[in-house]
Parts: sequence; structure tokens; C-alpha cells
Amino acid sequence: MDKFRMIFQFLQSNQESFMNGICGIMALASAQMYSAFDFNCPCLPGYNAAYSAGILLAPPLVLFLLGLVMNNNVSMLAEEWKRPPGRRAKDPAVLRYMFCSMAQRALIAPVVWVAVTLLDGKCFLCAFCTAVPVAALGNGSLAPGLTPQELARLLARVPCPEIYDGDWLLAREVAVRYLRCISQALGWSFVLLTTLLAFVVRSVRPCFTQVAFLKSKYWSHYIDIERKLFDETCTEHAKAFAKVCIQQFFEAMNQDLELGHAHGVLATATAAPAATDNAGEEREKLHGIMDQGSVNRLLTSWHECKPPLRLGQEEPLMGNGWAGGGPRPPRKEVATYFSKVHCDI
Amino acid sequence: MDKFRLLFQHFQSSSESVMNGICLLLAAVTVKLYSSFDFNCPCLERYNALYGLGLLLTPPLALFLCGLLANRQSVVMVEEWRRPVGHRRKDPGIIRYICSSVLQRALAAPLVWILLALLDGKCFVCAFSSSVDPEKFLDFANMTPSQVQLFLAKVPCKEDELVRDNPARKAVSRYLRCLSQAIGWSITLLLIMAAFLARCLRPCFDQTVLLQRRYWSNYVDLEQKLFDETCCEHARDFAHRCVLHFFASMQREMRARELRQDTAGRDPEPPEGPEASDGPDGGSGKAHLQAISSREQVDRLLNTWYSSKPPLNVASSPGLWGGGLSHRAATVAPGTRLSQHTDV
Repeated sequence: MDKFRMIFQFLQSNQESFMNGICGIMALASAQMYSAFDFNCPCLPGYNAAYSAGILLAPPLVLFLLGLVMNNNVSMLAEEWKRPPGRRAKDPAVLRYMFCSMAQRALIAPVVWVAVTLLDGKCFLCAFCTAVPVAALGNGSLAPGLTPQELARLLARVPCPEIYDGDWLLAREVAVRYLRCISQALGWSFVLLTTLLAFVVRSVRPCFTQVAFLKSKYWSHYIDIERKLFDETCTEHAKAFAKVCIQQFFEAMNQDLELGHAHGVLATATAAPAATDNAGEEREKLHGIMDQGSVNRLLTSWHECKPPLRLGQEEPLMGNGWAGGGPRPPRKEVATYFSKVHCDI
Repeated sequence: MDKFRLLFQHFQSSSESVMNGICLLLAAVTVKLYSSFDFNCPCLERYNALYGLGLLLTPPLALFLCGLLANRQSVVMVEEWRRPVGHRRKDPGIIRYICSSVLQRALAAPLVWILLALLDGKCFVCAFSSSVDPEKFLDFANMTPSQVQLFLAKVPCKEDELVRDNPARKAVSRYLRCLSQAIGWSITLLLIMAAFLARCLRPCFDQTVLLQRRYWSNYVDLEQKLFDETCCEHARDFAHRCVLHFFASMQREMRARELRQDTAGRDPEPPEGPEASDGPDGGSGKAHLQAISSREQVDRLLNTWYSSKPPLNVASSPGLWGGGLSHRAATVAPGTRLSQHTDV
């Protein structure tokens, strides 16, 4: 169980690891889905090719888009792309890195589907059964006696053993074996090609732009973690806000009742220090943001004017947060995220 | 067991995670339900379509309603929608945000059912076998129209004597299944594309408004939960004091009876009741809960919470809410002057 917990924690540590886990699960799900899916060739001349093309292409597209949708980085990428620069400039290299990493992971499940489909052979058989060379494989001398439509209708039924009635022209087994063999060859070539491509990309990349790659990776992780922490902090703030609000509500009722009924017995004077101890703790969690307007302003400026990537300094209005430079005022060891928003909203 | 505890903790980490967990659970239940359901097409002309379409559409409706029921946020949304304004303005954007999030989650299980049914094909074959065009299949050339109709109605039933081992039945069944699967995959593709576009394009419009709505809808949910917890705490406190008060008064009564019976002039012992009952209370430090100490007061508190929620401003002290809670005017607290950010 410890092993499982460690794996779970590792996968959750950042979005990329999490996506690796999801990616593996989706690849397995893709293979499972193929085996559970009941392939059903229509065995009609016009429909075979359409059905097979659909089955070869639609599920991979669905899996690719699903991989992108499940990846939180998509909305993060869109946000990072569309946000106003504020006090933090945008780095296109980071955006490119995020997009490439997302696309690579999302491509794995579709590749698994296509590979499994080709290696299985049913789809290929359904699509190309009307193109089988009858002259070479069967009784070629009998073929000219049939019109092309009749031939097509006959051959279209090859994938369906229970309704095939053309054994006199072409043994079904022969056609099936021929097409499956081509399909498997294509499948293995596809697998080889994709693995080769992945290998080349992975090994060759460090030869070019390794430094830029490291920087992009770092800042991409940073943006992801910052976003998560911001959401967590907002939730904690909302919780503290709610607690203080409810406490004040009860106290107000208390005061109201005292004014109304002059009960005087309840020592609110002595109760106040005890209550403010609890309330004080909660109030600290509010970081000074104590009403609706301030919260809205905070959220607006988080999007429109992200703080610079420099802790502990009062930033001048010009200069971006990515590059350093400019004269440095004396440092103050405090993060300036919540207070003093300088830009115009 | 550790595995489940980990998963459970992960899903409980925030209310959104809880709802996602419930949504996934419902989807898994749907898959299991579909696979264990024994499909039984009537194979009679007029009833086929009714059965097939009914089975395609009724369980999804039931699952949709289940999804709405299982989601706490639907109740939160309705409460927020119907509450009187009180000291706190209502923001329709928040209600819309909660509504869309509830609907999205509730639609997952019905869609899973519909997609499974279409990809499997049995419902579709049952519903539309009588509507197939016999011209497509040459095997019907030498049958009268009424015979054709009867035959087509029996296509979904493999074991029926009229159609057993008949290649025409297999051809029609194949054709319909293939059509059903094509429709199923198309719907899946459309939905996933819509979800992808929604996810991609959302930050391009009104990102700040979205952040604000997300924060405040989360706040409304948390506040409701915390209020329920505080009320529970208060009820426990109240009950505790009530019980102690009762014991103390019983003790006093018994003492008073002893004193009356005992006329030998013993010193009356000082009643220990009030101190005994104050002891446990004084140390708890939750004076704001002890203020409310009668049924009418509790009723009044709950009534005020509903009809006049406090303003979203904890910087000022509670007495300054425009003359106390009994004052029903919709006074806006001083901190909300920048409220134009939430107006859409």
C-alpha cells in the first residue's frame, strides 16, 4: 500500500506527472474499448468504406480531444495566451512548450487505437474487400460474367461469413487471409514509424536548444503550480471569510436580543476577548481582504495585471517581470502579491 | 482499504472534487446498469418503436434527475435564487454559474447511457427495423408488402421461427447496427468537440468575471456548510445547557424539600446549582453561541438568516448594519462601493 501511496503522490505532484498517469490510463482504455467494441461491417458496397474510415478515424479524434479536454493545461494555456501583460510579460517559448507537451501526451491514445485496429485487421478487411484481386486469388475466369455492381455486391459480403455466397468465385478464407496480412504489415509499419519518430525527437532535442527547453519547462511548471496555489488560497480565504461572517452574525443577533430584552446577564464584555481570539485567528487568514469589493478587485487584478516574478521588491512601472535589469531599490523581505496594486484596471 | 481511503481523501479535498467523484460514480453505475439490463424487443409492429425509443430516452431522463438530486449544489443554487435580498445583493451571474456547473455534471450519466445504447445497437435495431427501405435489400423482391412488414418487425428477434438463420434478417440487422454505431460515434465526436472548444475559448471571454463568479459560488457553498455546522454546534451547546439546567433545578428542588422536612435549624446550604451549571459553559469560549438560549430566539435567528443575510463585509463591526438585524432595509455596507465589477 505504501508503494501505491507513493505512486499516487508522485503522480499528483504536478500537472505533467498527473497527465502522464492519465495518458497511460487512456492508452489502456483505448485498447480495452477496441476489444469491447463490436465491429459490425455493413457488407453493402457503398457503405463498407465509409464505415471503416469512420471507425479508423473518428475514435482517435475523440480520444485526442478527450486527452486535451482532460488536461487542465489547455485552459491554462488559453489563459496565459489571452491575459493582458500587466507587470509580467508573456513568453511565447513557454506557450509553445505547453502546447507541445499537451499534444504529445494526447496523441498516445489515438496512436494505440490506430495500431490496434490495423493489427486486428477487421477494419481493413471491411474497407478493401471490394478491391481484392479476384483474378489472382480466385476463379478469375468466372469474374467477367458478372457486372461490376454484382461483383462489388458479392465481394462486399466477404467480411460477413454468415451471408457470404461467393465461394464459387473466391474462397472467403483466401480473401480474408490476404487482406489481414496486408493490414498487419501496415499496422507494424505504423508502430515502427511512430516509435522511431518519438525516439528521434527525444534523442535529438537535447542537441538543440537545451537551455531554452529547461527554462520553458521550469516556467511552465511554475505557472501551473502558481495557479493551483492561487485557487487553494482563494478557497481558504472564502472559508475564513464565511466563518467570520457567521460569527459576526451570531454576535449581532446577541446584541440585538440584548437591546430588545435587556438581558444584561450575559457578559459580552468578558465574552468579547474570548470570541476575538478565535475571530482574530480567522481574520489573519483574510490577509486584510474583508469585503466583497476588495475580493473582486483582487481577482480582477490577478487576471489583468499579474505580479512580476520578483519577490521582495517594489517594482518600477516599466520593465517586464521575466528579464532582470534596471536599478535595484533596497530589498524588503515581503512578497507583494496582495497589497498595493499599481496598474490601472 | 488504504487504496480506497486515499481515493476518498483525494476526492474530498474540495467540493468540486466531491461532485466530480459523484459524477464518475454515477457514470460507472450507468455502465453497469446497461450491461446487466436484459433487453427484450417485443418484435411486434407498433410496439417496437415505442420500446426501442422508450429504452433509449427514459433511463437517461431518470439518470439526469438522479444526477441533479445527488448534487448538493442544486439545492444551494435554488436557495440562493429564492432568498430575499436582505443586506446582501443577489448576483444572477453566480446563480447561472452554479446552474451550468450542476447541469454539466448531471448530463454525464445520461449521455453515457445514450452512447452505450447507440454503440451497442440493440435499441436502434428494435426501434427502426420496421422503417427500413426494403428496396436496399434484394432478398425482399419476391415478398408482398405485408409479408415484408411482418418480417421487418421480427428482425430484432434472432430466435423467432420466421426469421431464424435468414440472411435477409442478418443483412438488415447489420445495416441498422452500422447506422446506429455511426450515429453514436458522431454524437460522441460532436460532444467532445464542443467540450474542447468551450474549454479552450472560455479564457478568451470575461476571464475576470469568471474568476469572481467561481470565487463567490464557492463562498456561498462554504458559507451554507459552515452555517449548518455552527447551528449543530449551537444545538449541542443548547442541549448540554438545558440538560445541566434540568439537573441543577432537580437538585435544588430536592434540597428545598429536605430543608422543609428538616426543621432542626440547619444552616441552609448555598445552592450550588448556578455555579455548577456555569462551570462547563464559562470555559468553552463560544459566547456568541450561548447568547441564543430559547426556542423563540433560535427561530428568530434562523428566520433572520433566511430573510436577511448579512452583507459581505467583515471589516466593520456587526452593529453597524443599518440599525441592527431587525432592520429589513437593503442597506449596502460601506465596503461594497466597487460592486460594479460583479454587474454583468
